[in-house]
Parts: sequence; structure tokens; C-alpha cells
Amino acid sequence: MTEANPVVLVVDDEVQIRRFLRAGLELDGFTVQDAETGSDALRWATLKPPDLVILDLGLPDMDGSEVLERLRTWSSVPLIVLSVRSNEAEKVRLLESGADDYVVKPFGMAELLARAHAAMRRQVRVSSGEPVVKVGPLTIDLAARIVTINGARVMLTPKEYRLLQLLAQHAGNVVTHQFLLKEVWGSPHLHDTHYLRIFVRKLRQKIEDDPTQPRILLTELGVGYRLVVPEGAVQAAAS
Amino acid sequence: MVGIDAVRRELRGSAIALVMVAATTVVSYVLIQYLDVRRGSVIYLLPVLLAGWHLGLVPALVAAVAGVLWSGYFFFSPFYSFYLGRPQEILNLLLFMVVAVVTSHLANSMKQQTEIARKREKETSDLYAFSRRLSAASSARDIYLAIEEHLANLVQRKVILFGAGGAKPFAPALPDPGQLSAPLDAAIADVQAGRSPATTVDAGQGDVWLVRRVSQKTADFGVIAIDLGSVPAETFDEVRHRVDDVLSDAAATLQHLDVARALNDARMRSETELLREALIGSVSHELRTPLASILGAATVLSKSAAVAKDERLTALAGVVRDEAERLNNDIQNLLDATRVSREQIRPHQEWIEPQDIVNAALQRRRRRLAGHNVSLDMDANLPLIYVDAVLIEQAFGQIVDNAAKYSPPGTPITVAAKRNGHDVVLSVHDEGVGLTTEESAQLGERFFRGARHAATTSGSGLGLWIAKAFVSANGGKIQAVSSGADKGSTISIHLPFGTPENQPEVGPDD
Repeated sequence: MTEANPVVLVVDDEVQIRRFLRAGLELDGFTVQDAETGSDALRWATLKPPDLVILDLGLPDMDGSEVLERLRTWSSVPLIVLSVRSNEAEKVRLLESGADDYVVKPFGMAELLARAHAAMRRQVRVSSGEPVVKVGPLTIDLAARIVTINGARVMLTPKEYRLLQLLAQHAGNVVTHQFLLKEVWGSPHLHDTHYLRIFVRKLRQKIEDDPTQPRILLTELGVGYRLVVPEGAVQAAAS
Repeated sequence: MVGIDAVRRELRGSAIALVMVAATTVVSYVLIQYLDVRRGSVIYLLPVLLAGWHLGLVPALVAAVAGVLWSGYFFFSPFYSFYLGRPQEILNLLLFMVVAVVTSHLANSMKQQTEIARKREKETSDLYAFSRRLSAASSARDIYLAIEEHLANLVQRKVILFGAGGAKPFAPALPDPGQLSAPLDAAIADVQAGRSPATTVDAGQGDVWLVRRVSQKTADFGVIAIDLGSVPAETFDEVRHRVDDVLSDAAATLQHLDVARALNDARMRSETELLREALIGSVSHELRTPLASILGAATVLSKSAAVAKDERLTALAGVVRDEAERLNNDIQNLLDATRVSREQIRPHQEWIEPQDIVNAALQRRRRRLAGHNVSLDMDANLPLIYVDAVLIEQAFGQIVDNAAKYSPPGTPITVAAKRNGHDVVLSVHDEGVGLTTEESAQLGERFFRGARHAATTSGSGLGLWIAKAFVSANGGKIQAVSSGADKGSTISIHLPFGTPENQPEVGPDD
């Protein structure tokens, strides 16, 4: 993957969308494979396993979520969903069934690329076992369980650390409320969103310059949280 | 009068009976003279039977007496004399008279039954015609006409229908006061007001009226008054039962028509709704798909080497993007407006940090705010609020949009999140066009746009109306404060958080 261009499978039935995605992705150094239908997409994903999938939800032959579910039975390829639906419950459902992130149409190329690179980096981190996640000034050493900001040690309670750890593992991508609640507090607290609000507030007080205007730990309303990777860092990681 | 008629009829019958006896006598003479039949007195039963059957009792008795005399003359010795004293003759006389009585009685009751049957048949066919008319009726007017005609035909007197005081536009109106007799007016008013479902009233000079509701169940279908004249009590009950039958059919049909009309209205409405929904849904999809291509392509262009090195081209690509975003926003407003007017706002409430809402709204509109000097003033440790964060973010974003739109570039916009009593207040202050008293009063009304800016600034007048709906669906309200035209304004969303005790708690951290 370091030598050859990464391959991205773009699944969308709208030719104009495919056209600008191809241009934008090729400019960013990807090799693009198009698919117009869900069955096409599944065939390409088998024939020529991609390094990234960009999946539109409205396909002529099947719903995008069905493509996602089938793909996830045998592949953990990073996958970003293109959604026209401003329906938060739908986004959560897609994330729960294995999408790494989503962008809502209309979207800018930079936004899509940031999400895509974050998802791909996570893949690399998992396979290489790399223990350190850097998010701007924040460094999280997952092996040593040490968190620092600009080199200075940050003291966290066990639950605060667990929360940050989960977000760090998905750095750059959204993590749903439900996933965080289940992992940190367990299944009985799946709907106690206020636990998250209170712990995120505490966490922000420790890692953000101005906790009322967070730059690192962002809220995705109605969906979850995202540790944001500063734009410079995206470019650096991609090259 | 009646007596003379009856006598005349009996006399005519008796004459006919005598003619029949005479004819029988001719036959008897022939029998005796040419065939030598000597025991034929029974032949005189024939005129008795015929007279009893067709002419009644008196002619039959006349025929019996005459017959016995003539049979004595022909068939009993001494022949050819009217001597009436032989035992055989006495027996014949008695027999003939019994036959006369029995036959005429039988014929009479037969006739009566036939009469009754004929009457019943007419009633049945009338009722059948009536119900056919009911089932064919397409309007209440048809039904009322049918009731009126059928009942008038049934009682052979006057029938008047009255409406339900305008509750149903199709029922006939109430009569002018004074047109009917006072007791009848009072009875109609009583029934109309539902004080009694049915009543009878003597309208004067022994003229009895039956007054009742058309439907026993509801006053909606009006009141009917039927002139019964001066009828005996037993006939009255019978008429009353028949009226009941007729009206219960009619009321059922009216009910049915009413329900059918309501159903029809509802179906029309929901079909219109569905059509509108489908139209807006498909239009917005049709518009959004190309918009996604335009916006995406613009962002790719702006990053391409050729465009990036030329500032003017980069700016142009930015214009394309901004306008596409604005258009997308308008489409979203259109969709939201239909949701609001269909009352389909169902907030999905959860606990949320107020500043998360403010930050998300500003983040989404950072390009539109780029020309302004935005400052933030947010309390740390605001209480959590229990709202649909997505709806409130959209409402607040609309207010931010308006501030950017109605204040000159370069002027400050202050966004604040504060606690005020039991409310969390999210506000946007700008130093733009401000609001006149009139404008303040109308702000947030559907399609309201300040006349001062209609020519210079584009907009639909939907944004704040939608924002208001979203906020009130979450139990909050929007306030606008301005010192006047061109003196800026502060628009704020007030959301109650209750008391600090209501704030959610979380268990100890390990």
C-alpha cells in the first residue's frame, strides 16, 4: 500500500457524483474503481479488494445498507457512507452495522477525504499494532496508558481514560453514543446519554484549551463524538 | 245519506236475485216439461249461492224465499201451486236460508281480506319505492323530499320538515314564528332543543300533530311535524309506528350519507397531503442530487493546481460552493416547512450540553460567517438541557444565518450561551438592520419578510417560522429584542432546564 496507489471503490448510481469523486480522489492519489449498482459493488469488492469503499445509500438494485451488511460478513475494508438523509437514527444504524463514518450530501471533498484517511489510518494502526495515537497536541499511548498534551502528562480517571481510548482508536471518525456507553458503562446504560455528557465535559476540561469551544473532542449532534484530526495532520498522514 | 245508499243497493241486489230465481224457474220448467225431472228442488240453491256470493245477505235471503216458493210450485205436490206448508218445503226453506247466510258471510269476509291484502300491497310497494328512492339519494335534500312526500302520502295530510338551526346546511330551515299555531311552535322548539325526542300536540280544534326528531339519536337531521287531523287513539298509535319505521330508514340513510361525506372529505384531504409530500420529496431529491455534484465539483476544482494558484478562480469556486450551500439550505427549509405544517415534528429528546448545540451551528455556518467578526460568550458549566439537539441546532443556525444576512460584513456578531433563572438562553446579537416595532410584532410569522429588505436581500420568510416551531416543540420560546431600525437586534432561544435537582446524575467514577 505504500508503493502502489491505494484503490478506492466508489459506489454511486449518479454519474455526475462519480465523476467529481473520481477527480477529487485521483488528485489525492487514489486509483478509482466505479460501481453503479450494489451487485456490481459486491463483485468488484471480491474481484479486486479495495483499500477504501465510498458507498451511496440510494442504489437502483438494493439499499446501500444491504451492501454494507453483506460486505461486512467477510471484509473489514474502511467504508464511508454518502447519505442524503439528515436522519440521525439512520446514521447511527449504519455506523452500528459497520460503516466507519458518513458524510451528508452535499459535502466538500476535503471533508470526505478527512473521514476516509482517518478510517484507513485506523485500519493500519490495528494491523500494525501501533500503540501511539496523535491528535494535534494530544498524544495517547495506548500501550502505556499515558495521555499527554504538548508533552505534559494529563491525569485521567479510569472511565475518562477508557472513553478517550475508544475515541482515540477511531481518531478522526465518529463513534456512536451507544458504542461508547456499552463499552464504558455496559449494556444496561445504553440510553444514559447524560453519563457521556458529564464525562465528556470533564474530559474536555482536561484536554481542551477552552472547554466551551472544543477543538479536539467534537460532538456530532444526535450521533456521537469525534476526536478531530487537524487538517495539517491529515495531509501529513496521507503523504 | 249512507242509509239510503245502502237500501238502494240492497233493493238492486234483491231485484237481481229475483231475476236469477226467474231464470232458474225457466230452467226448471224445461226440466219438468221435456225431461220429466221430478226431484230438482235443489236447483234453487244456485241463485241463493250466487246472490250470497256477489250481492250480500239480503238479496240472498230474498232468493232463498223466492226459490223455496218456486220449488214448491214445481217439485212438490200439489204441483203448480204456491202452497208452503209441506215438511220438505220447510226443511228446504231452512236449508236455503242457512246457505244464504253462510255464503254471504264467507263472501263478505273474503272481500274484506282481499281489500286488506290490496291495501298492504300498496303500502309495501310505496315503502319499497321510498327505500329505493333513499338508496338512490345522493344528497340530503333528496332524502328530505322523499320523507316529506312519502309521509304525506301515508297520512294523507300535511307534513313539515325543519332544519337543525343551521348545524347542517342541507336541512330545511325553521319556519318563521307565527306561521304555525303557538302550541305547535312551542312543541317544535322543545323537540329541536332536545328536551323531548317526540311529542304530540293539539294545535287547536282537535287537530293533533305528531312532532319528533328525524333521527332518534341526534338532533342534527332536524325535526318533522306531521298533521294527523282528529284521529282515534288506536289509529294514532298505528300511524306513529309507521312514521317510526319510515324515519328510522331515512335517518340511517342520512347518517350513512353524512359518514360517507366525511370519509370522502378525509380521503380527499389525505390524498392532497400525500401528493404534496410526494411532490416535495421528489423535487427536493431531484434538486439535491445535482446540488451535491455542483458543490463537490467546486471543492475539487478549488483544490486543483490550475485554480489554486489563481486567487480569482479560487474565489469563483468558493462562490459556486457558497451558492450551492445556500440553495441546499432553502430546500431544507422547504422540507422542514412541510413537516411543520403537517405537525410532524416529533422531538427526539436527550440530555445535551448547550454549548455543543451552539458550536455545531457555528461550525456548519463558518463559511457564511467568515465575513463577520464573530465573538463567543459562553458560560462554562451550563446545566444540561433535555431537548432534540438536532432541531435546536437548526433553529439556532437559522438565527445565526439571519444575523449574517441582515448585518453588514465586518460588523460584530456576538453569540452567547447563558443561564437565566430556570432557562438556558442561546442568543445572537448583531449590529445590522434591527427591527421596527411593527417588524418585531410580525417576526416569525409564516412568509413574513421585512418590507425594508425585500428588494435587497433574498429569503422566503420561512426560516424563523420553522425555528419557532422547532423551539416550541422542545418547550422553549424565541425572543427578539431591538432598539429600532438599523440599531441591531438580539434574537434568543430560551430553553427551560428546570431546577438543578432535576439535572441527571452519574454514578461514581470507579
